[in-house]
Amino acid sequence: MHPALSVIFFTVTAGAGYGVLFLLGLARLTRLTPEASPDQVTAMALVGLLLVTVGLLSSTLHLANPRNAWRSFTRFKTSWLSREAVFAVLFYPVCLIWLLFEWFTGNTVATNVSGVLTSMLAIVVLVCTAMIYASLKTIRQWHTALTPFNFVLLGLLLGALILNLMLAQQGLTSDALEVVSLVLLLLAGMVKIIYFYWIGQPAGPTINTALGFTRATVRLLDVGHSSDTFHTKEFGYQVERIRLIWLRAISVGLAFVIPLLIVTGLFGPVNLPTMLLAVGSAYAGVLVERWLFFAEARHVVNLYHGAQRT
Amino acid sequence: MSVLPEFENHAEQTVKMTTCYMCACRCGIKVTMEGNEIRFIQGNPRHPVNKGVLCAKGNAGIMKQKSPAKLTQPLVRKAGTERGAGEFEPISWDKALDLLTERLRKIRSTDPKRLAFFTGRDQMQALTGFWASQFGTINWAAHGGFCSVNMAAGGLYMTGQSFWEFGDPDWDHAKYFMLWGVAEDHASNPIKIGLEKLKRRGAKFVAINPVRTGYQAIADEWIGIRPGTDGLLALSFAHVLLKHEQFDWDFLVRYTNSTQLVIDAPDTSRNGLLLRNESGELQVWDQASDSPASWTDSSHDNDIQAALFGEYLTDEGVRVKTVMTLLAEKYLSDEYAPENVAAITGVDADTIERLALEMAHVAFRETITIDTPWTDWTGRRHDKFVGRPVAMHAMRGISAHSNGFQSCRSIHLLQVLLGAVDCPGSHLAKPPFPKHIAPPIKPAWAMAPDTPLSSPPLGFPMAPEDLVIDHDGVPLRIDKAYSWEAPLANHGMMHMVITNAVKGDPYPIDTLILFMANMSWNSSMNTAEIQEMLRMKDEHGGYKLPFIVTSDAFHSEMVNYSDLVLPDTTYLERFDTISMLDRPISEPHAACDAIRQPVLEPDRDVRPWQEVLVDIGARLGFPALTRPDGEPKFKDYKDFIINWEKAPGIGFLAGWRGENGEQSMVGAPNQDQWQAYQDNDCFFEQHLPAGQRYYRFANKDYLEWASQVGFNAHSGPIVMELYSEVLQKFRLAGQGLYDGPKPVRQEDKQRLVQYFDPLPDWYVPLEEQRVDNEQYHFHAVNQRPMFMYHSWDSQNAWLRQIMAQNYLYMNRARGKGMGIKDLDWVWVESHHGRIRCQAKLMEGCNPDTVWTWNAIGKQSGTWGLSEDAPESQKGFLMNHLISELLPAQEGEHSLSNSDPVTGQAAWYDLKVNVYPAAPGETGLYPTFATVKRLPDMPPSPEVLHYHTHTPVNLERSMQDALSRGHLAGGDEP
Amino acid sequence: MKLGLVIDLDTCVGCHACAVACKQWNTSGTTGPLTDYDPYGREPSGVWFNRIRNFEVDEYPNSKTINTPMSCMHCDDAACVTVCPTGASYKREEDGIVLVDQSKCMGCNLCAWACPYGARELDEDQGVMKKCTLCVDRIYDENLPKDERQPVCVLTCPTHARFFGDFDDPDSQVSSLVRERGGYAMMPELGYKPVNKYLPPRQRPASPMMEKREGGEKESLIGKWMKRQKDAFNSLGKGTH
Ligand SMILES: Nc1nc2c(c(=O)[nH]1)N[C@H]1C(S)=C(S)[C@@H](COP(=O)(O)OP(=O)(O)OC[C@H]3O[C@@H](n4cnc5c(=O)[nH]c(N)nc54)[C@H](O)[C@@H]3O)O[C@H]1N2
Ligand SMILES: Nc1nc2c(c(=O)[nH]1)N[C@H]1C(S)=C(S)[C@@H](COP(=O)(O)OP(=O)(O)OC[C@H]3O[C@@H](n4cnc5c(=O)[nH]c(N)nc54)[C@H](O)[C@@H]3O)O[C@H]1N2
Ligand code: SF4
Ligand code: SF4
Ligand code: SF4
Ligand code: SF4
Ligand code: SF4
Ligand SMILES: [Mo]
Repeated sequence: MHPALSVIFFTVTAGAGYGVLFLLGLARLTRLTPEASPDQVTAMALVGLLLVTVGLLSSTLHLANPRNAWRSFTRFKTSWLSREAVFAVLFYPVCLIWLLFEWFTGNTVATNVSGVLTSMLAIVVLVCTAMIYASLKTIRQWHTALTPFNFVLLGLLLGALILNLMLAQQGLTSDALEVVSLVLLLLAGMVKIIYFYWIGQPAGPTINTALGFTRATVRLLDVGHSSDTFHTKEFGYQVERIRLIWLRAISVGLAFVIPLLIVTGLFGPVNLPTMLLAVGSAYAGVLVERWLFFAEARHVVNLYHGAQRT
Repeated sequence: MSVLPEFENHAEQTVKMTTCYMCACRCGIKVTMEGNEIRFIQGNPRHPVNKGVLCAKGNAGIMKQKSPAKLTQPLVRKAGTERGAGEFEPISWDKALDLLTERLRKIRSTDPKRLAFFTGRDQMQALTGFWASQFGTINWAAHGGFCSVNMAAGGLYMTGQSFWEFGDPDWDHAKYFMLWGVAEDHASNPIKIGLEKLKRRGAKFVAINPVRTGYQAIADEWIGIRPGTDGLLALSFAHVLLKHEQFDWDFLVRYTNSTQLVIDAPDTSRNGLLLRNESGELQVWDQASDSPASWTDSSHDNDIQAALFGEYLTDEGVRVKTVMTLLAEKYLSDEYAPENVAAITGVDADTIERLALEMAHVAFRETITIDTPWTDWTGRRHDKFVGRPVAMHAMRGISAHSNGFQSCRSIHLLQVLLGAVDCPGSHLAKPPFPKHIAPPIKPAWAMAPDTPLSSPPLGFPMAPEDLVIDHDGVPLRIDKAYSWEAPLANHGMMHMVITNAVKGDPYPIDTLILFMANMSWNSSMNTAEIQEMLRMKDEHGGYKLPFIVTSDAFHSEMVNYSDLVLPDTTYLERFDTISMLDRPISEPHAACDAIRQPVLEPDRDVRPWQEVLVDIGARLGFPALTRPDGEPKFKDYKDFIINWEKAPGIGFLAGWRGENGEQSMVGAPNQDQWQAYQDNDCFFEQHLPAGQRYYRFANKDYLEWASQVGFNAHSGPIVMELYSEVLQKFRLAGQGLYDGPKPVRQEDKQRLVQYFDPLPDWYVPLEEQRVDNEQYHFHAVNQRPMFMYHSWDSQNAWLRQIMAQNYLYMNRARGKGMGIKDLDWVWVESHHGRIRCQAKLMEGCNPDTVWTWNAIGKQSGTWGLSEDAPESQKGFLMNHLISELLPAQEGEHSLSNSDPVTGQAAWYDLKVNVYPAAPGETGLYPTFATVKRLPDMPPSPEVLHYHTHTPVNLERSMQDALSRGHLAGGDEP
Repeated sequence: MKLGLVIDLDTCVGCHACAVACKQWNTSGTTGPLTDYDPYGREPSGVWFNRIRNFEVDEYPNSKTINTPMSCMHCDDAACVTVCPTGASYKREEDGIVLVDQSKCMGCNLCAWACPYGARELDEDQGVMKKCTLCVDRIYDENLPKDERQPVCVLTCPTHARFFGDFDDPDSQVSSLVRERGGYAMMPELGYKPVNKYLPPRQRPASPMMEKREGGEKESLIGKWMKRQKDAFNSLGKGTH
């Protein structure tokens, strides 16, 4: 799949924002950041909201006809994209309500209830986004339960690291959050590695089933157009194998290994600069990961353009 | 059902019928117009040719009309600039025609042959040929010589009917169909319609072709033959048929010259001629009287028993053999045995034997009958038509080789042995065919100033006396057609005109008029040098080819090399005739012709070439076009078409003749004839009565009708000539034994002896005989893409999206073995030159063959395309590798790269070497200078949104969008 | 009603007529224009609803070339419709035609991602998704002659490899063709339940051969035939020798 930068930026950035908000929404209940004041929580949440908003805005950039974007609320019943849109929008008032409670009332039941709601919605949006991809049977590399796990875990991971960073910036610490980050790093890294392994396994349609000639080799002779078409541009994206392997290593290194070293203190003391490095590294790593998520996805229509399998 | 909006306002549309000319198939089309814009072009279901269907090209007519390459005004090469530099000035039609008329008048009144008028994909040869005759130059021909004259000549000198566009397989009855070397052919739509009929009926379709694409894709069996060897394969089939006694004895006796007697008198001028009696009647051996008898009498008289086999001695002591004996002796020999043919053709012996016996089974065990009584030429009544349902069709895979004439005859021989000619289920002639062998028209040779020719420039020589040469044997025609080099060059040799004229061999000319021919590019061999020749000057600084006039409708490569450009209309903007005097659009069982009518007004300063021809002819005072007082006889082209008569009652159009339009085929001119055609969807169709539909070579009623309507000169039978005495006469001339003209050049003698076998024969194609086949191992051939017509369609915004670049295709295993991968740049080298292009590997390709799509490559700057268009940056022509001359041999005059019998251009004889380009060696070779844009040519648009009205969107109601939980129709579990 | 196409791979010669006809009709049709970019330049491309590809099955010398026209299959379980967030994509309840309402599309491409068959093409210039309409603006146009109320790709196909009809009607031509010729769907494992079906190349039984008559060498054969013609002649009772 052609990696559309706006979409990559959107899913990563908004994902991180939802991660921040998910953790913050639960923070009071789970005592994730015991020392943070309502002001501090609100401020940190606003950063999360900013990430979400910037991400969402960038997502509209890939629409060829944004004038009709408002209509994307109408097909909630079937469309994950519509659901994503609806929940993303719904998220705002809920989140704002929570923040108002947090800011004005601090740690109250109302805050906790609305916080949990916010967290749930954040996860729902993340899942919806992931399901847009995971629901596509046409792209084997996406059509897997690993996709929502991956999206959610990476969103939370970035969220956790960013939260850590913000805490550090305010001179706060949270052991619990560090544990959460550690767990997320290990889990997300594992899921990703399983994913890489999984997409390496041959499966799914081949040119034989695509055409219905299953008893012999089938090869494309002529594709019927000499220049690129919408399909070859959109789906024909291909990266050299060796580059892919490098990029996988880079993304795992940046997204998981380096932050892990930092968070576990193996890199030195966990402080603002190292956390900044951790966030930067993880963010870059997830961007590469997301780019790979697209670049490694092979749409079945490629079979009709000469691919043997997807 | 929900109510749908009115998508378009039919009341504002107009519908007109006319005839497509996106190619030479000439389908009937229905054009829906909105204002002066084309809404839709579709097939006319009533039309005999296409019956409602339309090909990819025909469907892209809108984009031809929208082409930015359309010429807009007459142009003249700017004084002082070089030819080919692309510097043109607009000139008015009046001035252009004055200038041209003046020049032509001088030529005509001094030496008319200094005008050469050649036409390419011309479909009005009856008109252009008429014009040349009236002018008085024999230097006229159309594309046939570089196209497929081998098919026409091969058939017409043997069976009186031929492949190409002159006949069709009997799609409705054939049970076995063999297709030889056809990618697309002129009958684009009819062949496709027919193939489906065959398959639906369960007939077997065997495709013989080195490449498996297109039609061959759907064949039941594909024979990936080595190019140039089909003749041998056909004769091997004949060997098997003879060996297993599978031939139609009665058919041979009745309808062919197989019982006629060939004189065996070595070293005499009679050797190999047919025995005749004093009154010139052809003789057979009568078993009853054990003496010669007339073939005609033997046909009528049951008491004469003509022997099919035998060797006899006449009372006069003349040793004779029946044709069939000679034939059997020849083809039964081991030379043609499948096991000896296999290695040469690449078809294994078992397959050859099997296919021959399969055909025999269909012909003789699966015989069909049509219960319609008919009468043969002798008056014998038959209660039914017996059909041997084996049909064949063949085209340029056979004809574009220098052994194509004989190979074509070999295929016809097969048909005749099986009795599968013009009978139900076989190959059927289309009126005006079949014709007598050969049609009694001799090529003109005599010319005089200001005098029309006394016969047409092209005709059918029957003996060396008919050649168009002078007393010293020097060719009289500029293309050297009908010379010793190509005696039966029935369609001329267009591919030699420029080379010969520039060399002044046989003589220099003054003016070359080209119509619909892209001779500086894809229709010339040796394109790069041809472009140089067009620029070549003599010692006085004048061009060796002094003046070139081009009639084209688009900015082609040829336009760039012209001195005067006369812009034509498009096919949707003019009146035109598709005449039965020309290349027929008839169906096997109907005589048909057609017209074109304008469906839109030209928006440029262009004129239909047919109008221009009639106009110039009148200015020059052609007798047929002017009254005694010098005034034009005809108002315009339409008037001319109606009122000119070739013979009393016979004109360009056969329909609605007679004063009131009540006569068909023959009748007085009808002033409302055009209207009658327009009222009948622009075509005329006369069905043959049921009893005249088959065996027309011997069908009394048909033959009588055909002579009445002027198809044939008389109503006698058409006797198929398995043994060609015409060829034998030329062979005798080569042997120095002929009582008449004889060649003097050694190479001519040798060729006549070697290639003019009176029986169908096979020999190694000439280029292959002369090059080092170890070095030039591969055969290189072309195919027509179904969605492009020669050079025309790269300007078509829709069609070029399908293909804007061609590749050199080769067999995958073979290419891999040579280290070649898909899209690698490779060198392709012939004895003549080399090109660099990109390769692609495929399965369905004979391992010794490489091929590409024809005419995709373009010269940069032409056809309204940008300078970096793939057509010019990556697309290539094979033409650069093909020489118009054979590789020279010691002590020999230069010989054209053509069939030695017919002069047919031998495009597919090409032998090449292929090797990977060195690392870093990429890009097309050779490349050509970018052609300048023409003055006032508008820039080509960067995006197209063609539509004729604002689209009426089919709205989905908001309610539906909101309410539908799941899919309608989708039965979700 | 379940309208759709049957395409006969046994007769399709890959001529592209259907594809160009489709382009021609639809560029002035309900979802027109079908924009063309760089039409005379380096990378000519544009919106098409129907594309033809050629494949080779098996290897030389047994290879068979297959031409595959592909347009929208009007799937029963059309994910292109379910994924569409705007409701622009829909499958008509009354006849199963899958359409894009041009006025509602936001050009997100998701439907194209969801389509396995490459049937949807974004009109980059107009920003909306386009696809085969099954010529809805012909098949229901009562101002067209009855026999022309068919998709143009079907009308134009020179090998009559395309059929249009109602798959819900077991007696329709399309239904019986699918039944009789083993019509199949492409990539069925994805579960889209494409309505359009393809007829596989027909398998012909081996043709019978004439039995061999081993007649010997050419001299003896010709001798035999001479004798035969003599015998035949004699049997007429006219022979004098
Ligand atoms: N779409 C389209 N239609 C056209 C034209 C066009 O340009 N485009 N051109 C028109 C014209 S002018 C002509 S002359 C006709 C020509 O129509 P075709 O006769 O179909 O001409 P080619 O495309 O040259 O096809 C020749 C075929 O013969 C095969 N071949 C080559 N060498 C051999 C051989 O030695 N033996 C055998 N058995 N096969 C061989 C090639 O692979 C190819 O498939 O088409 C006409 N129709
Ligand atoms: N290598 C190779 N070369 C070949 C062949 C091959 O198979 N291989 N095939 C050969 C064969 S069979 C043929 S017939 C020739 C064909 O060769 P040509 O007859 O030269 O065919 P085109 O390239 O179509 O060129 C015809 C010219 O007619 C112009 N034209 C189109 N429409 C009109 C019109 O309405 N009016 C006028 N006045 N002009 C118009 C076009 O713009 C073009 O310049 O090519 C031959 N060349
Ligand atoms: S075959 Fe195609 S291009 Fe040729 S006349 Fe027919 S419709 Fe036109
Ligand atoms: S028009 Fe018919 S034969 Fe041609 S590509 Fe389309 S389906 Fe195949
Ligand atoms: S073919 Fe593609 S566009 Fe058409 S209905 Fe099926 S999924 Fe949708
Ligand atoms: S591109 Fe248009 S039709 Fe397709 S899913 Fe998006 S909004 Fe729907
Ligand atoms: S049904 Fe109509 S829109 Fe669909 S492919 Fe055929 S011609 Fe095109
Ligand atoms: Mo031709």
